[in-house]
Amino acid sequence: MLTCIYEASASGLVHKNIRLMLEPIQQYTLFDEYVHVSSDSAKAAKVMDAIVTRISYQVYRELALASMAYEEDVLDNIYHVLLLGFHHGPSVLEMVQYADVMRNAEIRLRVKREANRFQEFVRFHQIGNTYISHIEPKSKIVTYLGPIFADRMPSIDFMIIDDVHKEALVHPADSPYYLRRLTEEEFNRLQKTEEVNDQYTDMWKTFFQQIAIQERHNERCQTNLFPKWSRKHVTEFM
Amino acid sequence: MDNQIFYQNNQTIYTANPMKGLEEKLAILADAAKYDVACTSSGVSRSGKKGYLGNSVAAGVCHSFAADGRCISLLKILMSNACIYDCKYCCNRISNDIPRATFTPEEICTLTIEFYKRNYIEGLFLSSGVIGSPDKTMEKICETLRLLRTKYKFNGYIHVKAIPGASSELLYSAGLLADRISINMEMPTNDSLQNMAPDKDMSDILLPMNQIADTIARFRVASGKSALFERAKINNYLVDSIWGQRQEHIEGGNGDQSYKRALHILSAGDSAMQHPAERKDIALGRTFAPGGQSTQMIIGASGETDYQLIHTSQALYRKFDLRRVFYSAYIPLNEDAALPALGTPVPLLREHRLYQADWLLRYYGFYANEIVSADQPNLDYAIDPKCNWALRHMELFPVEINTATPDVLLRIPGIGPTGVKKILSARRYGPLNFDMLKKMRIVLKRARYFITCGGKTLGLLNLDDAYIRRCLTDECREEAMQITDSGMQYRQTNLFTDFGLGVG
Repeated sequence: MLTCIYEASASGLVHKNIRLMLEPIQQYTLFDEYVHVSSDSAKAAKVMDAIVTRISYQVYRELALASMAYEEDVLDNIYHVLLLGFHHGPSVLEMVQYADVMRNAEIRLRVKREANRFQEFVRFHQIGNTYISHIEPKSKIVTYLGPIFADRMPSIDFMIIDDVHKEALVHPADSPYYLRRLTEEEFNRLQKTEEVNDQYTDMWKTFFQQIAIQERHNERCQTNLFPKWSRKHVTEFM
Repeated sequence: MDNQIFYQNNQTIYTANPMKGLEEKLAILADAAKYDVACTSSGVSRSGKKGYLGNSVAAGVCHSFAADGRCISLLKILMSNACIYDCKYCCNRISNDIPRATFTPEEICTLTIEFYKRNYIEGLFLSSGVIGSPDKTMEKICETLRLLRTKYKFNGYIHVKAIPGASSELLYSAGLLADRISINMEMPTNDSLQNMAPDKDMSDILLPMNQIADTIARFRVASGKSALFERAKINNYLVDSIWGQRQEHIEGGNGDQSYKRALHILSAGDSAMQHPAERKDIALGRTFAPGGQSTQMIIGASGETDYQLIHTSQALYRKFDLRRVFYSAYIPLNEDAALPALGTPVPLLREHRLYQADWLLRYYGFYANEIVSADQPNLDYAIDPKCNWALRHMELFPVEINTATPDVLLRIPGIGPTGVKKILSARRYGPLNFDMLKKMRIVLKRARYFITCGGKTLGLLNLDDAYIRRCLTDECREEAMQITDSGMQYRQTNLFTDFGLGVG
């Protein structure tokens, strides 16, 4: 994404004539020229440095959060917010009168809400001494979950696998966590972890059944708070 | 008491193999605990430690939502449902013929740790029926918590119930081990408690509540905090609220009131627990109940009025600095002449309205006497308490959004603390109009009858309270139709009187 931003600004074209998009592109337009950009760590580092030194580290963090989103226009939006940021400085994200900044705030809020939802609904399965979980989020939120779970279980080996983006967050006990892109073979092997159930899985299901009060049954309220799309890997609904 | 076999009244109640037995016990004791409302894991922020399991997030984390839509944040269980008391409303009373079970401390610890590692729960909620005596029960609870904190190195959230009548040494230990401690009041008045729970005494509830409040304040003062808990920030904007005057709020928590409380604590005239606690518990270096204390009251079991409930809540908040008062709609489980008959509908709407009133006390600067009066001791269930207040005070409306003070804004139906903050911040850059309010997600379907923006109104403004009331209830007609116990009087609409269409 950062390389793409670099190329866009270095192209010398007028900003409003450029649109940045993420591949794969769903719908091509007739009269536009498409330029593929491959990632280049040197160029990306230049953009990152520019954001941190000329705007602020806080803005960089917030935009990194926005970059996790799945929205089609997210890259283009970040580009426009950056242009405003280089002009106005660190307070750019508060200037909601700009449509781009407003849209960026909306995206960040949605990503944060989704990430918080998965902070609640991640379910681990015990395989030996390791705890493994699978999630299917819409955005790439595993990096957001990393520090949260590393703080929660610092001395436990665990792994959170994003089945959609095929990424895994690996946390060895008492060490820093890291992110790993999974190969097809690794991914297929890790798919089987959810078949391993123990007595605590059953006990949790029992608890979940028992704790509900039949006289107060309210499915609509439950679905509202715990949407069905986010129940895919949740033990009590499996 | 044996590990796997339980006896009561010399009768075998329960036998099972160890592992299967644990699941059955969990089923029995989770079922017995489900009528306790509190399941929050909030109020304490604590980061994780190497070698320990768990942390605590101040906002709280809900891990699941049960079929009744209530959140599951903590492993809510009873230590035992073999109770010697015979409280009329309780499903675990001694006179009920139900399966009984008791967890051993080790079993509770294993369950908590294993569930926590799998991210099922945020911590433990431990309560119990009275086994033998209150002291014996409390001792077992403390033993469990001690084991969890030391041997199992659990650093997550623990909410513990104090058993009325237990000695203060044990409560002191429990408070040091847990994050939140609570004693259930169950009934708002002494008479109703005597009637419903003949084994309990109101002084056994209020005395420890006072002791716990003073001990919490003492620990807070000792660690350099204000004696009273900091409340929601919106209270700093209010001229007056149940937490005290505004000038007292600014600068360090609750200001003057908190300062007086600190003096009271330091003058040794307080009732804080001063006897030495268990040496091990002190050595852990934990604060006494950093998440504060809460309580619960049952709604609809005896004839208590909303007036009594809301005034009791307010008194509890002000006197004991409680974090929350929970309301539990009574579900008819037991047959008794003093209780509603089996099959009586659960008063869910009443519970909802009481929670709305509770929020008005804690976040909106209302006092109990503004919400209900002695002449009309129950809330109007057809309309929420804030709208109801506004309709009774139409002389204060309409309010100009661009100039009104925060405490006036907060009294407009449809505008809450978040809305007020948005309005205040946006007003700094220019005047507001209705479109902007809509973008800020102010609930205009309620607010429109009570506000002006730059002198303009949204539609024709009719300040007749009967008309607004009709509009507000009409918008959720479906909901209103379901309200059977609202006591609302319906009458035929009359074009001449209601819409002022005179002849000629």
